[in-house]
Amino acid sequence: MPSTPRHPRREVLKTLSSGLGGIACAMLAADEAGAAAPFLHGGKPRAKRVVELFMTGGASQCDLFDYKPRLEALHGQPFDPGAGKRVEASISTPGAVMKSPFAWARHGESGRWVSSALPCLAREVDRMAFLMAMESSSNVHGPASYLQTSGFLLPGFPCAGAWISHALGSLADNIPAYVTLPDARGLPYNGRSAFTAGFLPANHQGTVIQASAPQPISHLRPPPDRTDITSESRAEGLEVLTRLNALHGEARPGDDRLAARMASYELAARLQLSAPELLDLASETAETHQLYGLDQPETADFGRRCLLARRLLERGSRFVQVWSGPGGGSLNWDNHGDIPRELGAAAKGMDQPAAALLADLGRLGLLDDTLVVWTTEFGRMPFSQGSVGRDHNGGTFVSWLAGAGIRPGTAFGESDEWSWKAERDVTTGYDLHATILWLLGIDHERLTARHSGVDRRLTDVHGRVVREILA
Amino acid sequence: MQSSRYAILRLALLAFVAAITAPPAAADPPWSLAPLARPAVPPGASHPIDAFIQARLAKEGIPPALPADPRSLLRRLHYDLTGLPPTIDDVESFAAECAARGIDDATSRVIEKLLDSPRHGEHVARHWLDAAHYADTHGNDHDHARPNAWPYRDWVIGAFNDDKPYARFVAEQVAGDILFPDDPQAIPALGFLAAGPWDDTLMVGVREDTVDHLMSQNLDRDDYVMTVMSTFQSLTVHCARCHDHKFDPVSQRDYHALQAVFAGIDRADRPYDTDPALHARRRTLLARRGAIERRDSTILAAMQAPAEAARLEAAVTAKQTRADAFQLLEILAITSVASPGTIHTPLPDGSWLASGPTPEKDTLLVTARSPLRDLRAIRLETLADPSLPGGGPGRYEPAGNFHLTEFSLAARPLATADKPAVPVAIAHATADHADSNDPVQGALDGQATTHWSIHPRYGENHEAVFHLAAPLTTEGDAILTIRLDFQGATGHQVGRLRLSVCGPELAPADRDPLPQALAALVAKPAAERMTAETETLFFELLRGEVEAELAALPPPEKVYAVTNDFAPQGSFKPAKSPRPIRILERGEVTKPLEEVGPAALACLPDLPADLFIRSDDEGARRAALARFLIDDRNVLTWRSIVNRVWQWHFGRGLVESPNDFGFMGSEPSHPELLDWLACWFRDDGHGSLKALHRLILSSATWQQAVAFDAAAAGRDADNRLLWRAHRRRLSGEQVRDTLVSLGDGLDLAMGGPAVVHFLDKGKATFMPDGGAPAFLDYEHFPADAPAHRRRAIYRFVFRTVPDPFMDALDVPDGGQLVPVRNESTTAVQALALQNDPFVLHQAGRIADRIGTTENIAAIVDALVRHILLRSPSAEERALLAAHAERHGLTAAAHLLLQTNEFLYLD
Repeated sequence: MPSTPRHPRREVLKTLSSGLGGIACAMLAADEAGAAAPFLHGGKPRAKRVVELFMTGGASQCDLFDYKPRLEALHGQPFDPGAGKRVEASISTPGAVMKSPFAWARHGESGRWVSSALPCLAREVDRMAFLMAMESSSNVHGPASYLQTSGFLLPGFPCAGAWISHALGSLADNIPAYVTLPDARGLPYNGRSAFTAGFLPANHQGTVIQASAPQPISHLRPPPDRTDITSESRAEGLEVLTRLNALHGEARPGDDRLAARMASYELAARLQLSAPELLDLASETAETHQLYGLDQPETADFGRRCLLARRLLERGSRFVQVWSGPGGGSLNWDNHGDIPRELGAAAKGMDQPAAALLADLGRLGLLDDTLVVWTTEFGRMPFSQGSVGRDHNGGTFVSWLAGAGIRPGTAFGESDEWSWKAERDVTTGYDLHATILWLLGIDHERLTARHSGVDRRLTDVHGRVVREILA
Repeated sequence: MQSSRYAILRLALLAFVAAITAPPAAADPPWSLAPLARPAVPPGASHPIDAFIQARLAKEGIPPALPADPRSLLRRLHYDLTGLPPTIDDVESFAAECAARGIDDATSRVIEKLLDSPRHGEHVARHWLDAAHYADTHGNDHDHARPNAWPYRDWVIGAFNDDKPYARFVAEQVAGDILFPDDPQAIPALGFLAAGPWDDTLMVGVREDTVDHLMSQNLDRDDYVMTVMSTFQSLTVHCARCHDHKFDPVSQRDYHALQAVFAGIDRADRPYDTDPALHARRRTLLARRGAIERRDSTILAAMQAPAEAARLEAAVTAKQTRADAFQLLEILAITSVASPGTIHTPLPDGSWLASGPTPEKDTLLVTARSPLRDLRAIRLETLADPSLPGGGPGRYEPAGNFHLTEFSLAARPLATADKPAVPVAIAHATADHADSNDPVQGALDGQATTHWSIHPRYGENHEAVFHLAAPLTTEGDAILTIRLDFQGATGHQVGRLRLSVCGPELAPADRDPLPQALAALVAKPAAERMTAETETLFFELLRGEVEAELAALPPPEKVYAVTNDFAPQGSFKPAKSPRPIRILERGEVTKPLEEVGPAALACLPDLPADLFIRSDDEGARRAALARFLIDDRNVLTWRSIVNRVWQWHFGRGLVESPNDFGFMGSEPSHPELLDWLACWFRDDGHGSLKALHRLILSSATWQQAVAFDAAAAGRDADNRLLWRAHRRRLSGEQVRDTLVSLGDGLDLAMGGPAVVHFLDKGKATFMPDGGAPAFLDYEHFPADAPAHRRRAIYRFVFRTVPDPFMDALDVPDGGQLVPVRNESTTAVQALALQNDPFVLHQAGRIADRIGTTENIAAIVDALVRHILLRSPSAEERALLAAHAERHGLTAAAHLLLQTNEFLYLD
C-alpha cells in the first residue's frame, strides 16, 4: 500500500530491503528477530537460503524416479485402472500403457530407483529426500505453474521467492534476495509473472539475470553506445544529485520516503560495483567449469546458471531459481510427442549441472544451511500419447529436496501401481512451500499480506510441513 | 500477522460473509451497508468538504495547513486532472492570474480548462483501467495478444471526457448491449467484463470433458463476479468461493447466484459498427441468425408457409445440381515422396486412406485419370476416418489436423504417355472450413510457412475447391498429377482423401463447397427426407442466406468483450443459453450441489436481491444486475465511487481500501463526509464525475500545502484527518509522459491500436514459431522511435512480460484488480532512471531544446525552469553549471529528472 507508512523506519528499511541490493538487511533481520517477527515459528531456522531447480513443462515421474514394474508387464495394452475409474487426459485420447524407454536401477545406500536418463543425479540420491506422491489440482501448464510458484491457480499472487524476500530480505546489502535465472531459450510459462511479487511491493519480485545475455541485468549499465557516460560522470552526478535532494529535503521534514530514495541510489551503486564480480564465471577453476558441464553445448546453459546460482547463494541471496527449459511446447519437459528424444535431451541438459550443484554446495559446506529443491508443475501419464509421448498428469509427480534440515536418503509417499495417481502420503505444492518456509524459520500460516479483503498466504488455506522428510 | 490476530480476522471474515448473505437482521452489517442519508454540513467553512474536514480537525485541536504555493498548486492541478505537467509559461501566467484575480478565481479557471482538455479522459482512464485489470494480452502460459482490446480503452477515455453520468457509465459496462441496443458505442463498453486475464490453453486447448475445463469456466465466472462487485460495490464477495471456511449455505447460494448472472457469456472478439445504420442492420441480421440457430418457433412457422417452403425447395434443387456436377477422379496411385513405407489404400467410395509411418514432412504425388474434356475446377475432400488420430482427417497426433502447405496440378493427355505433364495454374480456392489463421489460400501462395488447416474441427469431413485459372481442355481423358505438400509442422499430413472434378456446367460461384451440415442433406432426394431433415435443411439454407447478407456488409469493428456469439475454437464454444450454475461444495467443481438462478446481493437495505429473471435470457440477467447496481437505493454504488475519486485526488481514500468496504477493509476516516459526498454526487451532481472533480479540487482541504507540522504529526502522524496534503510520487505513466513532453514533445494523437515499445517478430501473438514467449526486447527498441511519443495510456501492456522501466515504477501488469498502486522505492527504480535508454534519450532532447548560449548560468536557469518549473538557487545553479561544464548539459538534465522534487508532487 502506498503513501505515508505507519512505522516509518521499519518501512523505509523494508521498502529497500531486498529487490536489488537490500539496505541494512542485517539490521532488519535483527529488528525482526528482536521483536519476534510474528511469522517466525520460533525454532532455529535450519536453512538460510534456498535454490530451486524448476523443470518447465511437467517432468515425467515415471521416466525418472517413479519405477513401476507393472508398466513393463502391461506395455502396449489398453490402460484400464479398473473399477470404472475415469481416465482423463488433458489434450489427447488416452493411449496404451507405456513403459519407460529408459533402463531402471537402484542407486546409493538408500536404494532409490532412478532411470538411466539421470546418471549423474542417480549418484546423489543419498543426499535427497523424495516426495514421491505429489499432486496438482491442475493439468494445464499456466495454472499448474502458478500453483507451484505462488500457491494460486490464477495470476497476480506473489511467488515463493517474493514472500521469502518480503519476510527475510537478503543476507547481504549488495545482492538481491530473490534472483531468478531463466533458460536462455525463453521465459518459463507465464513469462515474468512466474517471478512476480504480485500485490507485495515491487522490490520483492525476482531479479531476472539472463546469464547468457550481453546485459544480464536490466538497467545495470547505461546503453553501450552512451560513451559520454563514464564512471567518473556517474560518481560526480550522484554527488550532485545527493546534494540537490538534500537541499530539497531540508525544507521538507517528516517524510522518510525522500531519504529512502537517496539511499536507493547508494544501493544501486553498490550493486553496480558488486555485479561484475558476481557474474564473472571466468574466476572459477577449469575443474569447476567441467564439473558443471560448461564445456559441453548440451549442459553449458543450465550449468552456467547452476554455477551462477551457487555464487549468488554464497554472496547472500535468499532464494535463487534456476529454470530448466522455456515455456511453450518444446525444448523443455513437456514431452507430448517423443519421450526418448525430448525427455532424453531435457534430462541431458539438466542432469550433470544439477548434480554438480549438489556436490559443489556439499564440498563448500554450504549444503548445511542451503536447501536445494527440484520440482516441476505436474507429472505425466503412464500411458502413451501418440506413439511414444505422454500427456500431462496432475495425479502424481515427484519432487526432491536436499541439504539444510532435510533427512537424506528418504522418500515419502507412493503413487498407485501405475504411477497414475498419488496414493499414499500424498503431498501438494502447498506442502512443499510450507516445508520450505518452515526450514527458513517461517510458519506458513502466519506469513500473510492483506489484499482485496483477504489475508493472503503463500499456501492459500492449505499446506502442511512435511516433517517426515526433515532431519 | 500473529496467530491470535489471524484467528480474529478469520472470525471477522466469517461474520462479514454471514452479514452480507444472511437477512440483514441476522448480524450487524458493516458500516457500508447502513442506509444512506445526507448528513447536515457542519457549520463553519463555506465549502462543504472543508466544513466536514475542519470540524473534525477542530475537535482534535489540529490546525489545517496553509494553502499550497501557486507553483505547487498548479502542478498538482495539472497532474491530477490531465496526468501532465504545466509548462513554465503556465506557471508564470497562473501566478499573474492569481495576483490579478485572486487565487480562487484563477484556480477555478484552470480547473475548467483542464476538465475540458482531452488529456483529462486519458489521465482518469488510467485509474479506471488499473481497477479493471485491463491489458493487451491474455496472460498465462500462452500469452497471446488481444489486438482488439483497445476500443474499450478508448471508450473509457471518451466516457470520462464526455462526462458520461456515472449510472450510465456503470450500466454500459455491465449490460450496454442490452440496455442501450441502439447505441453502437455501448458494445465496446463491455470490454470491462473481459478486461482481465484469460487462459486460452485451458479454455481452448484442454478437452471439454475434463475437470480442468470445468474449473476454468468456474474461475472465468469468478473473475466477472469479482470485477463487478469489487469495482462497483467495493465488496469482496469472491471470498465466498473460498472453500475452507464453513460458510452459511445461504452465503454460497448468494455468491453462486451472482455467478449465474454471468453464466451465459464468454470473452471473445465482438463485432460492432460505429455507423448507427450499419449497426442496426447488422444487429437485425445477427438476431435473425441467432433465431435460426436456436430454431426459433417464429422462423419455423415462416418457413412452413407454402410459398416459402417452395422457394426453399427450389434452392435445394439448385444445390443438388452442384453436388452432382462433380465427377469422381479415378486415382491411379499415391506416392509418398518422403516415406516409401507410408501406404495409401483405395476404399470403395473412391477415397484413399494412409497407413504406416507418418513422416515429419512429406509431399504426396497423386496420379489420377480425368474423364472431362473441359475441366474447370478440382475438388479435394479430406475425410474423417476412425483409424486416424482424433478421427482425422489429418494424421497429426493427437488431434487429426493437417497443414496443406501447397496444392499444385499438372496434366497431360492420356494418349501421350511419353510427354511430360504441363503445370496447370490455379486461380483461387475455397473451403468448407478453415482455421481463421490458416485459410485455404495459404496452400496457393508458394510458401511453406502458410497452409490450409481445419483446426479445430477434427473428426469431420472437409473439402476445398481449387478453381483453374483457365479451362483445361483435352481431346480424350487426361492424366492429372496433383501435388500435395505438407512441408510445415511435423506430421501434419492428410490421412484420407478423395478427388473430383467439374466442367463448365456449373457457374463458378456454385462450385464452392457447401457448409457441411447442408451437403449430406442436399444430396438426399426430397421424397426420402424426414420432416426433421427438411427442417434442418431449410434452417441451414436460411442460415446460409443470412451469412451471405452479413458477409456482404462492410466488415465490422471488433472489440474484445463478452458475448455469447462467436466462432467455436477447440473446447471454447458459446453457451446457447446460460450454463447451469450449481452451488459447489467447498468450491470444488467435482462436488456440485443444487442449482441456483441469478440474483443480486441480498444484503442491501431496501433493495431486493431478486432480479426477477425466470427465463434463460442471458442478456436479461446482466441487464437486471446493471439496474440493481445503478439503483438510487444501492448504498454501495454511490459510496464506492466518491471514495474512488477522492483517492485519485488525495492518494488515499476516505476508506483506504477502495475495493473492500467490509469488515476486512478499513473504516472511513470521515463517515459523514463520505455519505454527504455520495448523496451529493447522486442527487445534486447527477453522477457527473467532472462535477465531483471540481468540487474536490476547489476545496481548501485539497489545496492546502504539504507543510509538515510536528505538533499535528504528534497527534495524527498518518495525516488521516487531512491537516495537510499528502506528498505523492508521480506514477510510471506520469513520469513517462512528462519526460516525453519535456524532451521529444508528446504526440497527442488519441486512440487506436496499442503502441508497442518492444521489438518482436511482427506476429500477433509475439510468439515466434508458436513456441516459448520470447524475451520481448524492450531494451533495444529505438529510444527515438515515434511510438515513444504517444501518451503512456496507449502503451501495449503485455501481461506476462511487462516493460521493465514501467515495472520499476510500480505500473501494474493487469494480473489483479489494482484500486491503489504500490509506491515502492527501490534500487531497481534508481537504476531504471539512471540507465534506461529512453530516459537518457529524453534528457538529451531536453538539452537540445534548451539550446546554447555562451552563458552557462543562463542555460542552467533555463534547464531548471523547464524541468522543475522554477529558477534555481545560487547553490543549485553553481552545482549544475559545474556538472554541465564537465559532463555536458544532457548529464545535468538527466540529474534533474532524477530529483525528488521532479518525482514527487508537493
